[in-house]
Amino acid sequence: MGQDVVVGTRILAVEDDERIRAAVKLALEDEGWTVDEAASGEEAAILFLRQPADVVLIDIMLPGIDGFELCRTIRRASDVPIVMVTARADTHDVVAGLEAGADDYLTKPFAPKELSARIRALLRRARPAHPAHPKLIFGDLEIIPDEGKVLRSGTELHLTKTEFRLLCELAQNPGRVFSREHLLDHVWGYGYFGDGRLVDVHIRRLRTKVESDSANPRHVVTVRGLGYRLQA
Amino acid sequence: MIEPQVAKARSMRSDGPTRRWRIRPMGLRSRILLTFGLGSLALSLFLALATFNFTRSNLVDERTGSAIDQTYTNASRLAVDLRSNPTNIQTVLERLGADRPLVYFRGTWTGNDARFSSSVIPPSFLNAVLQNRQPTTMRIEVENELVLAVGVPIDSVDAAYFEFPSVDDVRSTLNSVNLALVLAAGITTLLGIVLGAIAASRAVRPLTAASQAAQAIAGGRLDTRLEETEDPDLAVLTSSFNDMASALQLRVERDTRFTSDVSHELRSPLMTLAASVEVMQARRDEMPERAQVALDLLVADVARFQGLVEDLLEISRFDAGGIRLNVDELLVGEFVRQAIAISSAPDTRILVAEIAEEMMIKGDRRRLARVVANLIDNGRAYGGGELEISVFVPDDEDPPSQIWITVEDHGPGVPQDERDLIFERFARGSIAGRRSGSEGAGLGLALVDEHIKLHRGRVWVEDRLDGLDGACFIIELPAERV
Repeated sequence: MGQDVVVGTRILAVEDDERIRAAVKLALEDEGWTVDEAASGEEAAILFLRQPADVVLIDIMLPGIDGFELCRTIRRASDVPIVMVTARADTHDVVAGLEAGADDYLTKPFAPKELSARIRALLRRARPAHPAHPKLIFGDLEIIPDEGKVLRSGTELHLTKTEFRLLCELAQNPGRVFSREHLLDHVWGYGYFGDGRLVDVHIRRLRTKVESDSANPRHVVTVRGLGYRLQA
Repeated sequence: MIEPQVAKARSMRSDGPTRRWRIRPMGLRSRILLTFGLGSLALSLFLALATFNFTRSNLVDERTGSAIDQTYTNASRLAVDLRSNPTNIQTVLERLGADRPLVYFRGTWTGNDARFSSSVIPPSFLNAVLQNRQPTTMRIEVENELVLAVGVPIDSVDAAYFEFPSVDDVRSTLNSVNLALVLAAGITTLLGIVLGAIAASRAVRPLTAASQAAQAIAGGRLDTRLEETEDPDLAVLTSSFNDMASALQLRVERDTRFTSDVSHELRSPLMTLAASVEVMQARRDEMPERAQVALDLLVADVARFQGLVEDLLEISRFDAGGIRLNVDELLVGEFVRQAIAISSAPDTRILVAEIAEEMMIKGDRRRLARVVANLIDNGRAYGGGELEISVFVPDDEDPPSQIWITVEDHGPGVPQDERDLIFERFARGSIAGRRSGSEGAGLGLALVDEHIKLHRGRVWVEDRLDGLDGACFIIELPAERV
């Protein structure tokens, strides 16, 4: 993938409120990152094509094409980590945003420190892990951690970085059941109070890619009340 | 040892300060029932009396008429016989063949039945016949037999003739009629009461529906309406009730939306403030001393502002009924430890009973963490000294079905009459003035209350369980052993 080596991390902040955009830009620049601004979904889409970012920050409430649509547009072209900003944590917005391709979310108003912590977690795991085995095989599924590649029956699958990390986490200990809390901690860097829906939606998305029939998963199996397991 | 105290505090809380005693007026249902009962009783009594009187006079008149006719006939025959044979009255009477005859002739009484002599005839009756020469009838009772005394003067021979036909059978007929009428009156009254009960329940039914609807509205289901009715008497009630409910719903929704809109609008400038303040804070050391002090004030109040807006948003969500819980199964001991760790006082002492480590609650972990955090913030702002948090099963219940999470401080405690009040929005109580007045928005405890209710639990405050000075906030949640 193209952005593995970057001099400075680039962040694309999509937010229609001019003052918020300016203030967030200032705060993120304090972290040493370069911040590109976009006031609308259309502007962001064009900007992203011209100058791909390492992390995209999207406010769901945008004039014109909304945040969900922008998420899907960017997702079609890239596996870049996306953080979305929603109004409320307990609405359907969160699940819809995650299903549109977002990797994580924050609710407004958030502290910029929290945002930079989320961005750092996403950037950290966006780099390839160092697994014990060069190649892991689960039936028709083949995982090559070093190259960040997953193949099903020899065909390469396009996973986002978060999906890939999730799959690698499950693959580290085949057959073992991983709780949502464990996965939240190891994949997203959340503690006890992370949102379990992050795991559920990403598992769902992962299944549509690695399973031949995602309604009856063979590899990524739910263990009721306990968590998830990867099997051949 | 803590039992009696807990029980005392609870019973005090349940004692309402405004208890009024007065004689309860009779309910609508009872009044309708009573009206129907009394009405049918009066009506059936009236009908029974009328029927009885009518029957009696009919029967008696008929008998009287025929008895008088018979007596006249016998009297005229007697007159003829007496003129031709004035000495042997006994023979004359026997020839007459009348039933219980009695003759007064030339100063002597002659009869053929010893029971019916002149002595059984009342003097007034005797007088009317003998002195006034008037034919007369009268009902008299002779040796328990009701008879009709009929007296006819016989002017042609200066005599008087009496007969005493029995009307006892009329009396027994009347007795039977009487019994039948009393029974009928009883049945009618009972039927009236039954009808009254039916009518009462029918009359009260729309009221019951209205009261249930009103309760539902009071309980937060603002879209409750009464069913439209075709009954013109009830249609007025129904339509004005529904109009009132609509007006109320509109107003509540408008208020809720207003709070929600205001809070949403506040979030954007808050975002800018929070981010800008953070940028300034990173450069605090480069600032002159006075600017640093001002910045510290700004930072603290932006945080407070942020908390307040979040609380307002959450409260408006409660009002709009739009809260959706993300329910997880949580081990309560572990959960409370984690909640303390992310609160404003992560070093707060916590004591978890052994059994509480195995107790599981079903709840939204982030909302319940807010509850714990709010109680800690409240204790730090208004209490005093070190806070202590305990998790245990109340009353050593077995099997345990509840868990208590208590937050205790060493402050002045909460006066008895403010213990309900402090869970109201923005109601900080009089003690707030004595405590550090600027802290706390007064929404924290209201949110605690709402959240705990949503988790089907209770929260209240009482004196410390160990008897020292200070307040003890108690959360009670349904729980089960793993």
